Amino acid sequence: MYLLNFLVRRLFQGVIVLLIVTFAIFTLLRVVPGDPVRLIVGGMAPDEVVAQKAEELGLNDPIPVQFARYLGNILQGDLGNSFLRPKSGATVGAAAHDDPTRADRAEVLDLILERIPLTLQLAALAIVFALIISFPLGIAAGLNPGKWQDRLAFFAGSVFVSIPSFWLGVVLALLLSVQWGILPSIGYKGFEYTILPAFVLAIEMSPFIIRTLSVSIAQVMQEEFISVAPLRGLRRTRIVAAHAIRNASIPLLNLFGIQLGVLLGGVLVIELIFDYPGLGRLTINAVLQRDFPVIQGVAVFIAGLFVFINIAVDLAASFIDPRLEY
Amino acid sequence: MAIDRRDFLKRSSMAAALAASGASLINAGFFASPAYAGSSKAINFLSAENLTGNWDPSSHTTLGQINFEGFVFGYLTRAPMRPENPDELVMELAESMELLDEHTLQFKLKKGVTFHNGEPFTAADVKATFEYASGPDRPAQWYPGRVTVDVIDDHTANVNTKAHGYPASLFWFLSAFLPIMSAKDVANPATLAERPNGTGAFKFVRQDGNTSVLEANPDFVLGAPKVPGVNFTFVGDATTRMLSLLSGEADIIERLEAEQVETIKSKEGFSLNKAVSVENKYLWFRCSKPPFNDYRLRRAVCHSIDRDIILEVLGVSGTPSNAWISPVKFGYVDTPNYPKYDPDMAQKFLADAGFPGGKGLPKLEYITSVGFYPKTKEYGEVITAMLQEQGFDIEFSAMEIAAWADRLYDRPGGGPGHMIDCGWATGSPEPDLVLRTHFHSSSKRICGIEDAELDAVLDKERNATDPAVRKKVIQEELMPMLAEKTPALSLFTSVFIHAYRDELKGMYIYPNGMMDAVNATNEA
Repeated sequence: MYLLNFLVRRLFQGVIVLLIVTFAIFTLLRVVPGDPVRLIVGGMAPDEVVAQKAEELGLNDPIPVQFARYLGNILQGDLGNSFLRPKSGATVGAAAHDDPTRADRAEVLDLILERIPLTLQLAALAIVFALIISFPLGIAAGLNPGKWQDRLAFFAGSVFVSIPSFWLGVVLALLLSVQWGILPSIGYKGFEYTILPAFVLAIEMSPFIIRTLSVSIAQVMQEEFISVAPLRGLRRTRIVAAHAIRNASIPLLNLFGIQLGVLLGGVLVIELIFDYPGLGRLTINAVLQRDFPVIQGVAVFIAGLFVFINIAVDLAASFIDPRLEY
Repeated sequence: MAIDRRDFLKRSSMAAALAASGASLINAGFFASPAYAGSSKAINFLSAENLTGNWDPSSHTTLGQINFEGFVFGYLTRAPMRPENPDELVMELAESMELLDEHTLQFKLKKGVTFHNGEPFTAADVKATFEYASGPDRPAQWYPGRVTVDVIDDHTANVNTKAHGYPASLFWFLSAFLPIMSAKDVANPATLAERPNGTGAFKFVRQDGNTSVLEANPDFVLGAPKVPGVNFTFVGDATTRMLSLLSGEADIIERLEAEQVETIKSKEGFSLNKAVSVENKYLWFRCSKPPFNDYRLRRAVCHSIDRDIILEVLGVSGTPSNAWISPVKFGYVDTPNYPKYDPDMAQKFLADAGFPGGKGLPKLEYITSVGFYPKTKEYGEVITAMLQEQGFDIEFSAMEIAAWADRLYDRPGGGPGHMIDCGWATGSPEPDLVLRTHFHSSSKRICGIEDAELDAVLDKERNATDPAVRKKVIQEELMPMLAEKTPALSLFTSVFIHAYRDELKGMYIYPNGMMDAVNATNEA
């Protein structure tokens, strides 16, 4: 009953958040400079053609009316069509207003669904790398507060958080791909092309995980149930693995929900640097080309993903510690 | 630390599972690439400019797509434009051509040529292509005017300009720049736009995101290519293109910046191809709207710009020139009255136009692109500073290539902004591919100028039947008039720089950036 109550409440909250986000993006895109109709009809089109197309698309209606129409379409699974990209999905530009294929634009949902698996693969590998980097450092620091392990974790975290990801990406690509030729990184021809971009993303995420983990474990290790555990005959490894880490993982889970935003933001930059054909590169190109339906579609999609994962995180946390109530 | 049997089994099974999951995901071929010594692999070319999404060659003027068409479409002739023999034409779909009279240029066509979809190539395809693409409504205004093609037989086509009032000799060099389409496709423009269908050395297979995948056409009229294909990929970022080449992902890249040239020079295993191109880079004025509908303000801008400094900023990517066409084009001349840097003249023209010291002028938007042409942002900032020094209030907008491309052309009421940076490169020595396209009121692609005097002199050079007379009109009448009216300022002539892996051999790069990969080999 609690679970059902929790899900209904959180889903309702999620829908409200999504509505606000969607409306904000929808409105902002209509007030920033850049005429979407001009993009659709092309640079050489006369003003009458622009006016006619704007009328056809309903862009002369008040923003709330346009938004209501957009929401109606989203509910039917229609995120609209790209202003610029053809069905093939290629990045294009500089066509003419009387171009017969202008009508044959790619569906935004198709563009997103084609690219999301690669981005999820990148994000998942980045999380795996981030955990591999952070767990040893964070746990060692938490178990040895004030000692060299703690200082090492602090130092590593400080260095990682100070390195700009675009710089690290270019340097690692130069070293590992160009200089030593041990790992490919530019473009995508197979899974191995995900490793380097994921590593760069992991470096960006790790400082927060290391810090949260070390502080959380240090706190848990001060708890009474940990102090008395040896008296119950438990070995230290078991105390740490089964009790300390488990209890320390709740703040980590919450952090993960927040870090998802950092991860998705990082993906945008990293995919562009590595020419990785995922959602990030699609978004950057859409922003540069003022391809509003794609920007809106990606934003709504990512907001939905963000809300869903945060609900899942809260649910998981309440399973780990039944005392928690959300 | 003691490990008991249970622990050992648990840890070893976990390690095995981890290794197995990783092994299934990682392509082992990357870590131990088999050496296909001597074999040729597909050429990975990274284009700095994107395609338009419409495969009809007459629908655009995008250089990236023109380069793409060079692989897929056939041309009656090709113009290698080598410095030692700039007028040379190599026959491709034509077997021969002959000027029968002032208005008739006859092409004898090769037999047994087929389009990629299997249709035979005949004179009907030449007729359909020329008559369709020369229409005044086609966005790519490469033709000197409407044209009629008389089909004499399946393999003889007479280009006839009599009804249109200009000499047929203009098609001599143009024959190297007009992609031949299938008559059946021309009859159905939607099909024409959906997929490219030519007679060229490579067939279009599919569009894979930003990559156009091409495979070798074994029936190509000049012989089957030696490489299995070409992957033509748009990568807008110059650093990413460079990293791709250096890491072996790309075989050839274009539009290198000066510092990238130095990097390539310092690396073993890579080569450079540098050539004075057919491309001039221009500062185009929006002549069809205020304030640049007044030639005095255009002149004021021209005299405010010190082109020597721009060339210093540009480094190896540019060379000086003093005309509105490249030195490798027919009719080039160092125009005697070419606008020079002269602040006093700039001030005089500003005052004459009613804006002494720039006072009273509105804010002027100067648009340029980043990522395609070298150093546009850098020299754009220099130009902005020079203009501000003379009293112009400039808003400098540097845009990503696709956003810039959508703002490029003139439109009724004037194109976006007031000045825009753009180059113009056409794979033929024919000067009208630049001059008429931009400065005749029937086309006026970017600047939007409509000027009866310019039209008259452009018609005069076009209609001259004797090449020597035509050259004289271009050099002694047209260029000086352009220097007076300055609908655009030609900043410099581009030096095209391509970088490629040493294993890529036999590739010919035309002065407009198009490539001939028929004889290329590309060892893995």
